[in-house]
Amino acid sequence: MKMKTRKNLKVLLFLLPILLFAVVFVYYPFIRNIVNSFSLVNAKGEIRGFAGLENYRYTYGRKDFPQALKHTLLIAAINVPATLIITISLALLANKRRRLSPLYETLFTMPMSVSMSAACMIFKSMFSPSVGIINYVFGLKIGWFESKETALAACLILTIWMGIGFDFLLMLSALRGIPSHIIEATRVDGISPLRRIFRVQIPLISPTIFYVFCTNFVLAMMTSAPMIIIMGVSAESSATNTLMSMMYQSGFSSSDYGLAAVLSITAFVLTLGFTILSFVFERKRVHYQ
Amino acid sequence: MKKLLFVICVVLVSAAMLFASGAPEQKKEETKVALGSAPVTITFWHCASDDAGVLMDKYIKEFNETNKYQITVNAIYQGQYSDATTLMKTILSAENYSELPDIMQLDATGKVAFFDSGKAFTIDDAEAYFGQSIRGDYLEGALGNWEYSGSQLGLPFATSTTVTYYNKDLLAKAGWDHCPDTFADIIKLSADMKAAGISAAAYGTVPNSPTLANWIGQLGSYIVNYKNGSEASATKLECIDNGALKTFLTEWKAMYDAGALVNQSLSTNQFIAGEVAVFTNSSANVSNILSKVNGAFEVGAGTYLRVNDSASYGATVSGSCLVMFDSGDSLKKAATWEFIKYMTGEGVQVDFAIGTGYTPAYKSASDNAAYKEFLAATPQFAVAADQLAKTPASMRSITIGPSVDFYYAIQNEVSDMLSKNLAVDDVVKSMGDNLQALLDNYHRTNP
Amino acid sequence: MMRLKTKNAIKDTVVSIIAIAIGLIIIFPIIYCVCGAFKTESEFLTPNLLPGSFSYTKNFSDALRKGDLLRYIGNSFIVAFFGTLIRMVLSILAAYAFAYFDFRFKNVLFFLILGTMMIPGDVLLATNYLTISKLHMLNTYFACMVVSFVSASQMFMLRQRFMSVPRDMREAAQIDGYGDLSYLITILIPICRPVITTLFVHSFINLWNAYLWPLIVTASKPAMRTIMVGITKLNSWEDENYQLVLAGVCISLIPSMILFIIMRRNMRKGGMEGSLVG
Repeated sequence: MKMKTRKNLKVLLFLLPILLFAVVFVYYPFIRNIVNSFSLVNAKGEIRGFAGLENYRYTYGRKDFPQALKHTLLIAAINVPATLIITISLALLANKRRRLSPLYETLFTMPMSVSMSAACMIFKSMFSPSVGIINYVFGLKIGWFESKETALAACLILTIWMGIGFDFLLMLSALRGIPSHIIEATRVDGISPLRRIFRVQIPLISPTIFYVFCTNFVLAMMTSAPMIIIMGVSAESSATNTLMSMMYQSGFSSSDYGLAAVLSITAFVLTLGFTILSFVFERKRVHYQ
Repeated sequence: MKKLLFVICVVLVSAAMLFASGAPEQKKEETKVALGSAPVTITFWHCASDDAGVLMDKYIKEFNETNKYQITVNAIYQGQYSDATTLMKTILSAENYSELPDIMQLDATGKVAFFDSGKAFTIDDAEAYFGQSIRGDYLEGALGNWEYSGSQLGLPFATSTTVTYYNKDLLAKAGWDHCPDTFADIIKLSADMKAAGISAAAYGTVPNSPTLANWIGQLGSYIVNYKNGSEASATKLECIDNGALKTFLTEWKAMYDAGALVNQSLSTNQFIAGEVAVFTNSSANVSNILSKVNGAFEVGAGTYLRVNDSASYGATVSGSCLVMFDSGDSLKKAATWEFIKYMTGEGVQVDFAIGTGYTPAYKSASDNAAYKEFLAATPQFAVAADQLAKTPASMRSITIGPSVDFYYAIQNEVSDMLSKNLAVDDVVKSMGDNLQALLDNYHRTNP
Repeated sequence: MMRLKTKNAIKDTVVSIIAIAIGLIIIFPIIYCVCGAFKTESEFLTPNLLPGSFSYTKNFSDALRKGDLLRYIGNSFIVAFFGTLIRMVLSILAAYAFAYFDFRFKNVLFFLILGTMMIPGDVLLATNYLTISKLHMLNTYFACMVVSFVSASQMFMLRQRFMSVPRDMREAAQIDGYGDLSYLITILIPICRPVITTLFVHSFINLWNAYLWPLIVTASKPAMRTIMVGITKLNSWEDENYQLVLAGVCISLIPSMILFIIMRRNMRKGGMEGSLVG
């Protein structure tokens, strides 16, 4: 019994710091937010009565909600596999150490040093009509962020680019961590390189892949920066609005805190639900030690 | 273990709750102290960036050095307008009033939150408090933009209107020597340009709440009741039954159907690159456009496009104003009052106009020698000043709670109408329903 | 033998060239940003990549003057460095507990922390401001960084990493008399240094660019503002003045680039001793 208490105390010491901040600065405000979603909240943020499910009914009934949900899921559905494919390919390409390795590894990793807001400004300028370099290089004349057909694609390019550096680095270090005798064994067995990649290397780095998969999914569901910084209040923003950008613009900017609460809870439940499902799947498929 | 964790969670949550329940606010006694009898520092929040930021610093330095009342203005840049508004709303929701400034620069997005704050020291309040009437010194059109729910919230600082810019060289090739005046003119111009083999578009923009309020205003109506919210918080749409919205949409669609309109928010760079002949944009953009075009073609400027021949001239104002908060300290209030008059007065307004391209909202500025000289040198600037002076006093920009949503809804409904070729009547109905639902929801949450 | 070697050398060269070409495409936005920052206003209107001359530095001097950037760099550094440090400590401790201890509600607590990633900061803003103001911590550096102390993605990454370190290592250390904390500090952290360095750099850059929250909690102390506040000061009210903003972004990139280059070796060393794999 004493042993057990001691051990519990130890667990507590390791976990208490992070839990303290998580509870005070994330969950306590989030609980207030949940209360808001069932309340009449005025423009000053004061609760003025009970609203039942009225905020939910109103939010889900809005014309732009299905759009925002669709865009959010679409971004996640494209962003996650694209990031995985790109970073795994880059890592396989860079896996073997060569004379120039440090150079191109640095190049692949460099997007990591640019923050989201800086990247937004750079991309906005690169993709702008008439002065943008992208149109110039490809001989086009389109406003990427200014037309409904291309705005979402341009935002996706930006978010995928943002993920490359960090995720590549993780993939690379995982690949290089595969004990060399395993790779040697496949050589001796005469397994084709393609088969080696899919049958040996990828399964062996599955914990990293799983991590990149989960974090990218969550980040994709939470995407709002390009929509707010680049698209802003432009006429084409309806082509890119996401749950999070809708929450910011129709919730915060318009001081509708009930709507903001409903949207944030919706995104939270969807994201958490899917993440838990992935963890269940992980138990079966991901190989650790 | 379970118990232990439970206890910890309870402790944490209750500790957090403790922070939430604050001490009641104490009321301060207000005693009147004569201005100048003691040094006083007031806080000023502004959003002036780039060139405007440099000028702002200059005015504040000048005021601090020259004022006779020992006033020191502590100026703080608070990010872009939307950030400053977020900051103000956050402080208000925490009721942490001691963090509020004495005076603040505000754009349209912050009007409602400021009015609702309960700490607003409006111009009506100030005029009564100091026993002075000063609003007669400002152009009515500019003042009107900062009126909400029957209160004059603040005084105009950076004032601009939308004007029509045109590429004189392109128009000359199509045989035009004057600025298009109405939507019908744009259609004619487009036909002439095509006949002359010019591939550039005639005109491009997407209507949003400020521009729609302007065009509906030209037709003698308002988008929402109570004069677009300036007399009381708006509850109903007003442009549906009187047909104003329908007239506007019909004319707008005619432009699009004739191939004269690109329904996209064009950037200044596209106008400069010669991709579009006619461009409507803020009058404060004149100097920027002139310096970027740099003589590549001649830039003309005219009054804002009118919906049709029977529409009146005039343009609603945009930009920013200065508003005051009630600090409960008479000395600070008096100092703030001096400062706001200085910032919106003739001297600063003329200098700011020359430096940036904004239009002075102080009446006597139009007779100022330096300003007259400036207008004579660059006549493109004069358009906005003339237009502002001509704007009917009844014309108002729109102020509503769900302002961002209105902005989107208008843009989207118009875009859909054009791209999906919807009937005007259907769009009037769906836009009406959509906007009314937004207003209703605002009043549901803010009874 | 010799021929095989040359063949391999040629193959390596080809692969390297391809990789560098791809790398240049990937960092193109950064190249573009640097080039754009050297352009004059009129040069920016022609969409060439290269500026007329790399000696045109007016954008940089204007950015420094108008945005007051130098004044903000120090603040950003403090917030990013100490914020990251505290964040790392919390994440490492929690990741260790999740990787090595068995206790009740382990899964619940794990998802509780992971869940913090799925809550947008905007909805927490007002309440957190209230908490900070009740704690009388407004206008302090602590307030600027406190909301970023919890990083679920870091904790998650570290847990993944710790779990792939062979378990017998810990058991052996315990036999040698190491307690959990001393095992963590003297053995586990050095083994995982590449991952920890990577996370450090990543987090530093994120916090370096924090904007809205530090702005709000330092409303009356402009001397404590972060660099992004300075960058917004470069935006013109009426129009896009890209060249000036890009110059500001370039300046803001310098410290993160320096950190990135210093740490590069450590980050890439990855996996020497068995990285994320068993």
